[in-house]
Amino acid sequence: MAKTKQEKLDDKAEKQYNKTHKKQYKYSVGDIVFYIFNYAFFTIFTVSCIFPFYYLFINTISDNAMVIRGAITFVPHGIHLQNYIKLFSGNNDLFQAFKITVLRTVLGTALMVLSTAFVGYIVTKREMWHRTLWYRLMLITMYFNAGLVPAFMNMSMLGLTNTFAAYIIPTIVVPYNIILVKTYIESIPAELEESAQMDGAGYMKVFFSIVLPLCKPILATITIFGAVGHWNSFTDSLMYMRNAPDLHTLQHKLYTWLNTTSNLGAIADGGGGSSVSDVASNLKINKYTISMITIIPILCVYPFMQRYFEKGIMLGAVKG
Amino acid sequence: MGNPIPVKKTKRDYGIQILYILQRLAIIVAIALAFLPVSNPGRISDLLPKNRSLVASATSYSKLVEKCQLAFRMKYINESVFVILFIGCLVALVGVIALIAGGCMSVGNTKVKKRGNWFSLAGSVVLLAGIVVIYKSYLDMETCASPEDVQPILARGIFIFSFVGLLILCLTVALQLLLMKKECEEKMEIESKYKLFLMFLPFLALCFVFSYLPLWGWRYAFFDYRSGDVLSMDKFVGFKWFTYMFQNAATRRDIARVMKNTLAMSGLGIATSWVAMAFAIFLSEIKNSAFRRFVQVFTTIPNFISWVLVYAIAFAIFSTDGFINSMTGNNFDYLASTSHLWLKMLAWGMWKGLGWSAIIYIAGISGIDQQLYEAATVDGAGRFQKMLHITVPGLSSTFFVLLLMSIAGILSNGMDQYLVFSNAQTKDALQVLDLYVYNIGIGSQDALIPFSTVVSMTKSVISVVLLFVANGASKLLRGESIM
Repeated sequence: MAKTKQEKLDDKAEKQYNKTHKKQYKYSVGDIVFYIFNYAFFTIFTVSCIFPFYYLFINTISDNAMVIRGAITFVPHGIHLQNYIKLFSGNNDLFQAFKITVLRTVLGTALMVLSTAFVGYIVTKREMWHRTLWYRLMLITMYFNAGLVPAFMNMSMLGLTNTFAAYIIPTIVVPYNIILVKTYIESIPAELEESAQMDGAGYMKVFFSIVLPLCKPILATITIFGAVGHWNSFTDSLMYMRNAPDLHTLQHKLYTWLNTTSNLGAIADGGGGSSVSDVASNLKINKYTISMITIIPILCVYPFMQRYFEKGIMLGAVKG
Repeated sequence: MGNPIPVKKTKRDYGIQILYILQRLAIIVAIALAFLPVSNPGRISDLLPKNRSLVASATSYSKLVEKCQLAFRMKYINESVFVILFIGCLVALVGVIALIAGGCMSVGNTKVKKRGNWFSLAGSVVLLAGIVVIYKSYLDMETCASPEDVQPILARGIFIFSFVGLLILCLTVALQLLLMKKECEEKMEIESKYKLFLMFLPFLALCFVFSYLPLWGWRYAFFDYRSGDVLSMDKFVGFKWFTYMFQNAATRRDIARVMKNTLAMSGLGIATSWVAMAFAIFLSEIKNSAFRRFVQVFTTIPNFISWVLVYAIAFAIFSTDGFINSMTGNNFDYLASTSHLWLKMLAWGMWKGLGWSAIIYIAGISGIDQQLYEAATVDGAGRFQKMLHITVPGLSSTFFVLLLMSIAGILSNGMDQYLVFSNAQTKDALQVLDLYVYNIGIGSQDALIPFSTVVSMTKSVISVVLLFVANGASKLLRGESIM
């Protein structure tokens, strides 16, 4: 659209104003010193947050002989993907762990999100029988826990230890997420639901056709948090899967690998090396590669989801 | 629909109401018993695992007969007996599920109630049938080739479940007879308040099972229990494990060390909690928004990787052939060194969490009224004066809440970080309370389950008290609760 004459004039005036004012502002010596220090600090801290990932990565794709000598520090040399291919095709249980982790992340998160949305919707209904009592009973569980060993005994009493269900079922009800969803649903205009109820829709119908689509933003947030939590979860595998190595998660496998000081792990892995020194050196590279395999999914998802993460903490702050 | 005509309740109605309450209670008891190992009717042989409930024995046959393989191979007993047992457990479980359906339907209108009673009736009959099947496999066991190797036991659960099953059966029959004369509505309907409750119930049950039921595990603190045992009253030892903490010199030393570590680690965390606020304030001083954004995005990444991965990174950078050593040409294992360990842990905590904890303050800063700054500039306030007199007071409320929360959580450092960084050299200085509980209760071969339960219990109680204190302090000082 073409601007009117008056608007053009205004723009011009504003530009002129900005120009003159910028010129007027002079940085004092103190300002300059402050900015230098400030920029320097944040640059260093940010680099310290990124560099380790980069370092790990270039060490997994560079020429193995150089990696072992410690020659790869800033720039990769002789790029190849053999380490990854070897690890995944090798005779080890890494692929199984990867599968388990992906499965629990997908299934666990999906179930958690759906039930959180549903519970969040139900607790907004004032007509529910003793609503506040039940809701409070659920929320109180955020503030106490019976402790590690009673929880473990409970799981074994329920027969959940050494089963895949132990990853999924206990994480279905997360009170904190329920609060987030409930608060969000309460902010949706009630008329939308009421009009559907007028038309004879039941609770289920209203939930699936009206509430669920409207909750997408908040559900995206809790999905991200849930998925990252599942992916990173390590103690449950460590505690509950003691006799089921098939069900160990990637994090657990990584932990085991990082603590392998002997070369047994590398030999069992059949890393392709024939000489002893080759096998010994493979250990370090394998440790790096598994670390990278575990980190990559998070790094890939992170840039797209960053705004949801931030939204999550802000919502929490409002309630907290 | 019209308004329901108020009907005067007759004696019969009150009777029905009371019977329904009894029936529902009995059903709840039956469900609870199905989850408890004590009342497992299926444990009719010493070969069967002790710590499994009816539900557990009915869901996995392979786990049920885990320890019986020898008996099958040696032909002590025919495997079919155990298959029958498994089927019996399964049937009993199906009965319990039908009872759940019946119990849920008992809150509906008369038509739903009548329908539900059929479910309860079928459920109790099926449950009893399952028990009979189990009993039959018990009889088979007694008459098998070598009973002394199979060691049949007449499980307590058989009697308990037969009693509960019969009770529900009688109540349901009585109810159905009483309801017979009542007229049915045309449609099956459940009042919406109960309908909502029923929809909520499964999640409430999950919450109960995983958050409240573990409290039942606190009873281990009063028994001499080793893993795999069954609790019985002759192992009751009262407060032995509570005094054990103070009477045993070695334990006393351990606890003192663990508490020192815990409080030092939490104390350092609390003492440096202002750093996140400072981070946010100084970041907001940077006027280049692209750079600010860049810093914000990349400093939050470490928060989203697990402690195992943080350790993997520590390994890549600080191990004997990691980055630092390849740069300096040394061969020093930083991860095994015990110097300044607490500070190192603090540093890792900050590396992981600083950017993330700053976000909340960054949002707080953008919420501060810009006019305040303009006014201060006009008055000749410098950069640091503005920070100190406008930004910091503006953020103090958030800071205060977070500080109180971290004081309430002073005993809970979490075990992940310290577990992954522990090695032979560093484990003593890194053992915090959570890790200690794990190590003595689950991590070691010779687990002291009762003692670690005592420690967990004490910790939970202290944490809850601290939370209330923190909340009270918040109410007193800010007039607002933190929960």
